[in-house]
Amino acid sequence: MNLVVIGLSHHASPVEFRERFAFDEAKIPGALQSLRTAGIADEAVVLSTCNRVEIYAATALAPARAFAELKQFLTRWAQAPADADPGGKRSEFEGLSPRLVEPGDELYTLAEPESLRHLFKVACGLDSMVLGETEILGQLKKAYDLAFQHRHTGSRLNKAFQRAFHVAKHVRTETRIQRGSVSVASVAVELAEKIFSSLSGRDVLVIGAGETSEKTARALLSRGARRIVVANRSYDRAVALATELGGRAVSFDNCDAEFQKIDIAVSSTSSPQPILNRARLEPLMKARQQRPLLLIDIAVPRDIDPEVNFLENVYLYNIDDLQAIADEYLSLRRREVARCEQIIAEKVKALLDNTAGQKPAGDVLRAACCVKHPNSLEGA
Amino acid sequence: MAWFSDRHFFLLAVVVYGLSMIYSVFLWRKGFRKDDHVNYFLLLAAFALHTVAMFKRGFSVNHCPINNLYEATLFIAWGIVAACLALGWLPFLRFLGAFASPVLFAIGVFALMPALDPPHGPQPEFSGALISLHAATIMLAYGAFGLGAAAAGMFLTQQHDLKFHKLRAVLSLLPPIQRLDIVTSRLVLAGLVLFTIGLAAGGHLPRPADAVYWTDPKVLWSIFMWAIYLALMVGHRAFPQSGRRFALGVIIAFAFLLLTFWGTNLLSTLHHP
Repeated sequence: MNLVVIGLSHHASPVEFRERFAFDEAKIPGALQSLRTAGIADEAVVLSTCNRVEIYAATALAPARAFAELKQFLTRWAQAPADADPGGKRSEFEGLSPRLVEPGDELYTLAEPESLRHLFKVACGLDSMVLGETEILGQLKKAYDLAFQHRHTGSRLNKAFQRAFHVAKHVRTETRIQRGSVSVASVAVELAEKIFSSLSGRDVLVIGAGETSEKTARALLSRGARRIVVANRSYDRAVALATELGGRAVSFDNCDAEFQKIDIAVSSTSSPQPILNRARLEPLMKARQQRPLLLIDIAVPRDIDPEVNFLENVYLYNIDDLQAIADEYLSLRRREVARCEQIIAEKVKALLDNTAGQKPAGDVLRAACCVKHPNSLEGA
Repeated sequence: MAWFSDRHFFLLAVVVYGLSMIYSVFLWRKGFRKDDHVNYFLLLAAFALHTVAMFKRGFSVNHCPINNLYEATLFIAWGIVAACLALGWLPFLRFLGAFASPVLFAIGVFALMPALDPPHGPQPEFSGALISLHAATIMLAYGAFGLGAAAAGMFLTQQHDLKFHKLRAVLSLLPPIQRLDIVTSRLVLAGLVLFTIGLAAGGHLPRPADAVYWTDPKVLWSIFMWAIYLALMVGHRAFPQSGRRFALGVIIAFAFLLLTFWGTNLLSTLHHP
């Protein structure tokens, strides 16, 4: 039994191509059933996220034939009408006129041991758009759980995926691949956590309603910030954003009063001139009894005069400062990649040795035949 | 071994404090990014040697070993390192040891000066419950002030890095500056309370007939130090956001204490008849 993987990811295919092959979660069990009914895979897991679509399959077919069948399956899946029931037999897809381009170079196919190595890399976030991100592990676990619940996995995939989750945890503990923040919004949160003992109970003022300031406000909220106040030249836009964030809107011209209450201000207006300078902030700091104030200026040109940073207990960071920190973290993560890959290589070898030790003699011979003559079994 | 006296053990402890100090410089240059346990274990090793030194001295004199200036200084340093190890159990305060080790090394070097440890006479220089209370609380107060100065040093380092956008402000594992400010003020407050108790106990001690209490240099110095620390705490209460000035004040006050402690002690007829 070989563990193979076929898929597309952000590395080689743009989102407008990838999205055609995406699997709706509700339809995945049916797709897995189709794969097994058609004899393409004995066990299967489908991973479908915004950055990748992959099928992991344990198959008795020779890798070359398995890849051809899986590619055909994916193509038919992409071509099927949206309301088609994929839970039926393979013949359901026959007769449909191909209207979409078949995946070509965008598709990657991997057999053992590369398929295992790929699975472990994906689990560790090494193959992600943001190196070391942790969301993919949760998505992988969810995909595995779905297949497991519907009994589409067996000993091969169970062992491989459980080992992948263990490797991800090991890598997270032993390396710094997931350390730090690599987005501007997350860096802003880290800075806040270096100033304030805790973010809970902190109030945040968002000046301007840009995308990055919204992300920063959301990141602060997720770490316990209490209230968001939004000020924007367009009051309607301020209200809309405040409603989304569960906060309140204030008039742009009257936001000085808010400085007495807030602890963090995120600014990203399109003003050509600074909207906050030292002369304006100094009395505001006195009014708020010199409590520490973190100012995040994401705008270009800058919204906040750099002189403001010379005021006591004021900490001003602009977009370049934040990006420099994010880049440093990314650089730290990149330095960890070699170590992570070494750990993965060791774990793959251990898994293969363990699996070979447990294989019946017949399976071992068959695997040996496949390695020597990959096309010797039934033609593709 | 008989020739390996308590002073030898303390000398070894001071050597390890020195190693810890050197390693702390390395940690500082690395921006306190690495939560490594090396410095903690160095301090733990020094603490063990230090404790052995105090026990050996205590057994040899059959008293709690705060009987002369050398022993009192050992006690201060022991208090500081014990507090560092206790607080350093919490990961976010582990770097306190890195800031305290230079202080410990400096105190240790001073303590090893021969003049501070004359041979014991038939009677210890300090004896009695009240004087033990006076000596112990004063030494612990100095320890708390020392640790407060170390925490203030961490505050200033972190605040400077944040102000000037140093990468290590975020990459380091130093705690947030608000927390460091709280830790500093609590340590100074604890020191002030202990100092007050110690001075009050000292005021009730029997004194030589020819000694003039209120003009004794050590008494005047102690009152001055008490007033300085009280002013720091009152100022911090009145202006809670003046973290930087408070931290600087705590460091300068402790530096002044360290530099003038032995001199005033030698000048005092009450403490050095």
